[in-house]
Amino acid sequence: MPVFRLCLKILKKQLPIMLVYLIVFLVISLIMSSFLAKEQQQQDRLFTQAKSNIAFICEENTPLVNGFKQELSRVANFVELPDETEALQDALYFRTVTYILRVPEGFTERFMQGENVQLEKTAVPDSISSTYLDLFIEQYFNTARLYVQQMENISQESLVQYLRSDLAVGASVELKTIGEQPLNQNFANYFFNFLAFSLLSVLILGIGTLLLVFYDPDLMRRNACAPLSSSSVNLQFILAILVFTVLAWSIMVAFCLLFNYKNSLNLNTLYFVTNSLVFAVCGTGISFLIGNLVKSHNAIPAVNNVVTLGLCFISGVFVPMELIADSVLRIASFTPTYWFVKANNQIAKLTQFDFANLEPIFTSMLIQLGFALAFFAAALVANKKRRFE
Amino acid sequence: MFVHIFRYRLRCLLRDKETFFWTLLFPLLLAVFFHLAFSNLSKAEVFKPINIAVVDDANYQNHHSFKRALEEVSQGDDRLFNLATASRGRCDQLLDNNSIDGYILVENIENINAEKPIRLVVKRSGFNQNIIKSFIDSYLQTESAVKTIIQVNPTKQQQLLNSLDERKQYLTEVSASRAEPDNILNYFYTLIAMACFYGSFLGMREITDIQADISALAARVNTAPVHKLKAFLSSMSASLLIHLTEMLLLLIFLRFVLQVDFGSRTGLVLLTTIIGSLAGVSFGAFISALVKKSEGVKIAVLLGVIMTGCFLAGMMYQNMKYIVSQKAPLLSYLNPVNLLTDAFYCLYYYDSLSRYALNMGILCIFTIFFCLATYSIIRRRRYASL
Repeated sequence: MPVFRLCLKILKKQLPIMLVYLIVFLVISLIMSSFLAKEQQQQDRLFTQAKSNIAFICEENTPLVNGFKQELSRVANFVELPDETEALQDALYFRTVTYILRVPEGFTERFMQGENVQLEKTAVPDSISSTYLDLFIEQYFNTARLYVQQMENISQESLVQYLRSDLAVGASVELKTIGEQPLNQNFANYFFNFLAFSLLSVLILGIGTLLLVFYDPDLMRRNACAPLSSSSVNLQFILAILVFTVLAWSIMVAFCLLFNYKNSLNLNTLYFVTNSLVFAVCGTGISFLIGNLVKSHNAIPAVNNVVTLGLCFISGVFVPMELIADSVLRIASFTPTYWFVKANNQIAKLTQFDFANLEPIFTSMLIQLGFALAFFAAALVANKKRRFE
Repeated sequence: MFVHIFRYRLRCLLRDKETFFWTLLFPLLLAVFFHLAFSNLSKAEVFKPINIAVVDDANYQNHHSFKRALEEVSQGDDRLFNLATASRGRCDQLLDNNSIDGYILVENIENINAEKPIRLVVKRSGFNQNIIKSFIDSYLQTESAVKTIIQVNPTKQQQLLNSLDERKQYLTEVSASRAEPDNILNYFYTLIAMACFYGSFLGMREITDIQADISALAARVNTAPVHKLKAFLSSMSASLLIHLTEMLLLLIFLRFVLQVDFGSRTGLVLLTTIIGSLAGVSFGAFISALVKKSEGVKIAVLLGVIMTGCFLAGMMYQNMKYIVSQKAPLLSYLNPVNLLTDAFYCLYYYDSLSRYALNMGILCIFTIFFCLATYSIIRRRRYASL
């Protein structure tokens, strides 16, 4: 199989640069997947408790303020921050805290005298968590005001005591159950989403180079003289591409399973893997088309970056789909990455594996296969054109 | 001679499509991608009125004070709720298809002293659900406070009702700085920093074309009766001019097409970009002079260093910048990409310029170091054979 061997030789020459891509992507995917998965988990937990991270800066130490802080801890996580403008600003910008509350000196004394005093808050403007905290804090001090106004000479201690028993009152909440909770598949979900980027890059680099070498006019004429039937040449060529695709795909998938083996023994993983294989086929189609269109070696990395980054940014590989504008997603739905990511996100939420739940996933996979067919067809057209030039 | 070399070098560089792509088109395209992907990011945390329903039965209609309170917070532009009234069955339906976050059920009001007179039904827990609960809680808590006060002090009933009506504000908003903490901006700032350091491809080319042992062209240039430093400086100026123009185009594109906010210190933003561009080009020259290997290896080293720098400055995951500055503050001052990113961030977000000045100071030291080191490597080279 001389053609097959030649292909492997060419790919081997490309190996260092592809390895760089592979390693960098793997490291970044791993770091990001675990960071994001952890962050997601943290956020989920905070959301269920509905606690916000806040910085509580207190310039005085009185029973009223201490009582207030204790009540506030039911809705807030206190984050210790140094009382420096820039440290506080940084924390707010990067959302380590979403709310900064400052109790000015003399607050208690003036409050107990019935004066209208103010706490100072700094928050991410108009955010949900800030609305929630506002409600809580206003309620606390408005209730306290009633006591201060109506009961003369009430002590701070008994005020805090009264408030505590009042604030213990609350609506009863009925939680309607919604069935089984899905397993935590955040890590696998993020990793497989990132796979779209790394796999596509490696495929475009490898297959693009392969095609560029094979369709060099001089080389093509020389090869045409060889005593090999063209069908054999083509078959070997296709075989080489298949082997390369499967190899690249299985290395990446293996890494995911290796790092996430604890959560991997379930049906969700099977569908993740299947979906990524379908995407790999599609990626081969894209690479085939690019290899047929590009004219110089230097253009391959450029085209590679534009295509992969473009596809990945608009279809929710780097930024969760829910956070992307609808108009952008509508454009993205004309790309295979969109359907790949969509299927991954659906697979992560799967708890029941009946046809009704699986149908949207199969649809997404079929659409990716459709894209693959379209890319191959377009590549063949481009190929034909090139040969007649 | 200077003008001559400068002019021809300029024409030469302008024909290099590949460098053009990486130094100008690629950052522009990336900016567009960032804009498409991130434009909605900060809207996710904005508070929108919550859709709720209340079960419309005799209990609710007769509970006048609660009804009034609920209707009050469901009116106006800064309302808390979008309130709907419906039957219990319809409420369940609305909750099931996620049209509402929860519904309120007023229990038997004859028995107003019952343990839990108002009930909230939700499907999952979250901030919105807690805001609804918080509203009902505050109603019940005020009620409880009123009861306590009347028990202790029965004479004050009328006064109490009056002071109930005048709810006071106990919070004043103090903004952290003159700019909003819009946290997608950092992505664009790292992008500018990256584009500045992509100028290193130009710097690398300058070295390739002046060091006789790297390229044939350089060998020819070295035989010309021009001082090497003069030849180098004039062609370097051409590279710098091109890169500065590219950076200016990028800034204009970000500011006026994508509407990225840089704050109000336009002059300093420009100065930062100019120094960034200098740092980038000199960095490329330095690495290229230092790493005496093939062009592929040089590019790999450059990209490796720049992309690691970008990653640590928060280009792929912006909290990385914060994590580094908290856990390894020294690293954030040794990373030139982060220095540049942080300079833009300080200009936008801080009132004082002290950290900006620190960043720029360190960046200038880096740039001077790159230039001096490059000079000491490439000066006075003689070759026995080429």
